[in-house]
Amino acid sequence: MKRILLIEPNTSLARLYQHMLTREGYEVSHATGAQAGIDAADKASPDVVILELQLPRHSGIEFLHEFRSYAEWWEVPVIVNTAIPPSKLEPAQDALKADLGVRTILYKPRATLALLSQAVNEQLLSS
Amino acid sequence: MRAASSLAGGEATDLLKAVAEQLKVPLTIIARQAELSQLVDNAHHGDWAAMHAQASTALTLVDSYLLGLELAREQAALELEPVSIPSVLTMVAHDLYHLARQNGVELEVQVEGKYGPVMAHKAGLRAALVSLGYGMIEANSERNVYRRLTLAAHRTPHGIVAGIYGPHAALETQEWRTALKLYGRVSQPLTSLSSGSGAGLFVADAILRSMSTQLRVGRHQKETGLATTLHPSQQMTFV
Repeated sequence: MKRILLIEPNTSLARLYQHMLTREGYEVSHATGAQAGIDAADKASPDVVILELQLPRHSGIEFLHEFRSYAEWWEVPVIVNTAIPPSKLEPAQDALKADLGVRTILYKPRATLALLSQAVNEQLLSS
Repeated sequence: MRAASSLAGGEATDLLKAVAEQLKVPLTIIARQAELSQLVDNAHHGDWAAMHAQASTALTLVDSYLLGLELAREQAALELEPVSIPSVLTMVAHDLYHLARQNGVELEVQVEGKYGPVMAHKAGLRAALVSLGYGMIEANSERNVYRRLTLAAHRTPHGIVAGIYGPHAALETQEWRTALKLYGRVSQPLTSLSSGSGAGLFVADAILRSMSTQLRVGRHQKETGLATTLHPSQQMTFV
């Protein structure tokens, strides 16, 4: 079973994402912050990470820097699913993709569960 | 009449922006919950679909308000680009499809004649027309008339007029002007069109004002509605 690490500070939203992805046949572990995300990645060895960039204390960017510093996680696809509006994040999109290996960026609230699920499936098929 | 700057200034606006940002969280949860429930609860699929459409539309309205605020604040740096009106109207009809369907309103896109692109902020124009559509669908569904709205564009000597029109009772220019002075101060600023606050209409007007245009009462064929005048792209005219 493929493993997904979901880093999402809003537990209600996380529960819905978890429900949807579990229904699709994935094993999902959840963390609400950057450090907890690193700890969870250590335990779960995820095949895909879904990441909110707006996190308490340490940002999603800080998580990405730390995550990519470990060789075993260099190739793990990261899907950003964020509440930061496109107008604010678009200037940084290229750097996120080129420097931090982000494969897909989805924007809340328009990113539906179906869209998130599709992005996960695409990453697992291509990896 | 209120200027775009009134939307951008003051502590009250900052507070409202913070509230709008916060409102997106529960609305997103409701929208996603309804989406998930549609998949797992076949017995109430229609109810969940209705809730999904309502929550998604409310999110769009909040997002449009926030975009309008952003555009008004960055007016000096606003980048206008050549925009194809038929393409924007089609996207708007797509954005409004689920809400219209839930309210039993039929949408039609009508673009008369051929003309080049207009100069506009594409995301802003789309958000303004979606907000306008939200207000018009809400108003149209309250009436026991033939439920249909037309998203239309036509050429005039002053530019390209794009708007949303319906078979409801004729809206008068003076009524609209009065409503623009009243919104936010009374609960029903435009009673001839909407029994509620009509927020979608005023958000649309505010976004358009940040693009140096506005909503006006307009007519298309035999229908009345609200529309905006956009200027053709000079660059494209020379080409």
